[in-house]
Amino acid sequence: MEKNPYVPMPVNVDKIITEVTTKDIKTFRFSFVNKEDEERFSYLPGQFAELSIFGKGESPIGIASSPTDKGYVEFTVQKAGVVTSELHSLAEGTLMGIRGPLGNTWPLDYLEGKNVVVVGGGFAFTTLRSLTNYMLSEENRPRFGKITVVYGAREPGLLLYKDELALWEKRDDIDMYVTVDKGDKDWEGREGFVPAVCKEVAPSSENAVALICGPPIMIRFTLPEFFNLGFSKENIFTSLEMRMKCGIGKCGRCNVGSKYVCKDGPVFSLAELDELTPEY
Amino acid sequence: METRLIKKELLPGLIKGLADDTLVYAPVQEEDDVFFRVLEKDMEPLAEFGNTKNAPKNFFFPQAETMMRFMKKERGSELEGTPGDAPEAVLFGVRPCDARSFVLLDFVFNDPKYRDPYYMERREKTTIVSLACVHPPYSTCFCTSMGGHPFSPEGADVLLVDMGNDWLAECVTEKGEKLIEKLGDLPRADDEVLARKKDMAEQAASEITTKVPGKEIKPWLDENFDHPFWDTVHVGCLACGTCTYLCPTCHCFDITDETKDSEGRRVRSWDSCMYWLFTRETSGHNPRPSQKERWRQRFMHKFKYFVDNYDAIACVGCGRCVRYCPVNIDIRKIAQDIAKL
Ligand SMILES: Cc1cc2nc3c(=O)[nH]c(=O)nc-3n(C[C@H](O)[C@H](O)[C@H](O)COP(=O)(O)OP(=O)(O)OC[C@H]3O[C@@H](n4cnc5c(N)ncnc54)[C@H](O)[C@@H]3O)c2cc1C
Ligand code: SF4
Ligand code: FES
Repeated sequence: MEKNPYVPMPVNVDKIITEVTTKDIKTFRFSFVNKEDEERFSYLPGQFAELSIFGKGESPIGIASSPTDKGYVEFTVQKAGVVTSELHSLAEGTLMGIRGPLGNTWPLDYLEGKNVVVVGGGFAFTTLRSLTNYMLSEENRPRFGKITVVYGAREPGLLLYKDELALWEKRDDIDMYVTVDKGDKDWEGREGFVPAVCKEVAPSSENAVALICGPPIMIRFTLPEFFNLGFSKENIFTSLEMRMKCGIGKCGRCNVGSKYVCKDGPVFSLAELDELTPEY
Repeated sequence: METRLIKKELLPGLIKGLADDTLVYAPVQEEDDVFFRVLEKDMEPLAEFGNTKNAPKNFFFPQAETMMRFMKKERGSELEGTPGDAPEAVLFGVRPCDARSFVLLDFVFNDPKYRDPYYMERREKTTIVSLACVHPPYSTCFCTSMGGHPFSPEGADVLLVDMGNDWLAECVTEKGEKLIEKLGDLPRADDEVLARKKDMAEQAASEITTKVPGKEIKPWLDENFDHPFWDTVHVGCLACGTCTYLCPTCHCFDITDETKDSEGRRVRSWDSCMYWLFTRETSGHNPRPSQKERWRQRFMHKFKYFVDNYDAIACVGCGRCVRYCPVNIDIRKIAQDIAKL
């Protein structure tokens, strides 16, 4: 029988990691209760899912793990309203639900054979982390050219995935630029805003694509740097957020012009966004 | 296509008869208005009326419905089940504009990638009998401008036409043929009747004199999202949502959870782009911060976005929103004003 797209698949909360010193961002690792669901939940970087807690509701959250990570899926969630607060109060071993995968992906086919510049700010790094891990996996690494990552947070305590960043830094097949707006006494890394670091790093636009996610202000100041470097609007991608419910293009709330962010997005190139209404 | 004749005075009885063993939804008089209702034993279906106050969409897409039930267990709440199969049903007395709305709603709910199981289950099990508008009932009717027609069979399984002494029944689909068979041995309509029907159809269409530009204004909408005209449309709007609730083609919904003790259900209910909460994010950011943006959304959705996606205007010209808007905002006039810009 055809599956009901509104019914969440049961998952077990395997692990909860508090990512930041402010404690309001946690990564949740889930495993599927039913083996078939794991197969059905076949996803690619850039997609999202509805995290479902019966009695509270659902929230759309980007998938932070990579499909090359087998046996689990991860989401990094900021505590915000009803559902995300409930999530933050859960204990490991709880049963809840996820519905997906939903939406489109980072343009993986298009990235193939190209140099990839990943730019993330704040906690909007989740699906970019998925993408980076995906590209770095042994089977996929040869498919992509040079990989450059610029990732920034306000302060060291707000950087996500610190252990993983350290592992990436050790590799010679990825150029890492981790920065904070302002360091503390233990911080030995880079200081500076993401746009300034992008300018300094100056990745070549030759055969390259940039993927940029972050707070609106960061995006506003980062884009001109990439235009200056010669990146065209066709070669800059970002991921949008709109309030969502159904996640499958029916409830009518997440459209930007004729496109539904849940179904046709969340990933759009700047060229595609130019075609849409500026209402997001 | 099978065409049959049903004696005028027999029709209400036949419909009542169907209700003995089938779920029948039909128009019934309630005080000053006509509403679609589930036909109960003592109720008389109307066959002669203007149009119903409510659109018939709620039989496939109810104002509120349970999507699933859940139960609190030791390790968290778990799914208890989803609603069972829908019964076979007959939806009688739909006007051609409203019947067409189902074709438009199907684009959304029967999207091949994600079929909506709740809508589709009821839609597929329901036979739709529509009633042609021999004399279009309201001055606010404008179906002919939106791609419809007062005699259009689109969206119906059977179309009935009031021929004076008889109803002419045209079976549009196999489902419709089955239903007509069930009504008993009915005489076939001859060529004279069919010719007369053709003339009546032309006459009916000519009685709708309001012209509303539809696809003609699409090029303007494509280019003028920021036009100052949008500052004028919403003036006076109370954000009551009446237009979207009565509209046969509006399909926006909300999903919420309800719990009582250890049990609960996930409910889908109609929502409206006219409400400020519709797009408000947890951060407080709202991409449509005022009624201006919400009205632009409502109009653009019907006359541009839906056309981009499905090559059809998401308005069937029933005129309900025009008749019932408490501050007289008139979607026809908006379209006409745009055509003059
Ligand atoms: C494609 C996508 C990916 C996202 N990825 C992440 C992520 O990786 N990590 C993260 O922390 N947050 C992410 N968000 C934002 C997250 O969905 C909201 O913070 C969350 O829904 C708030 O829900 P709540 O129940 O806690 O808040 P409430 O205010 O109680 O929520 C009410 C309901 O409104 C809707 N809603 C409210 N704000 C938003 C919003 N900004 N976007 C979408 N729906 C909203 C949800 O349906 C929610 O259940 C993402 C949003 C989208 C659209
Ligand atoms: S927009 Fe108004 S006239 Fe058009 S179908 Fe909806 S209620 Fe009827
Ligand atoms: S979330 Fe329902 S249409 Fe996108």
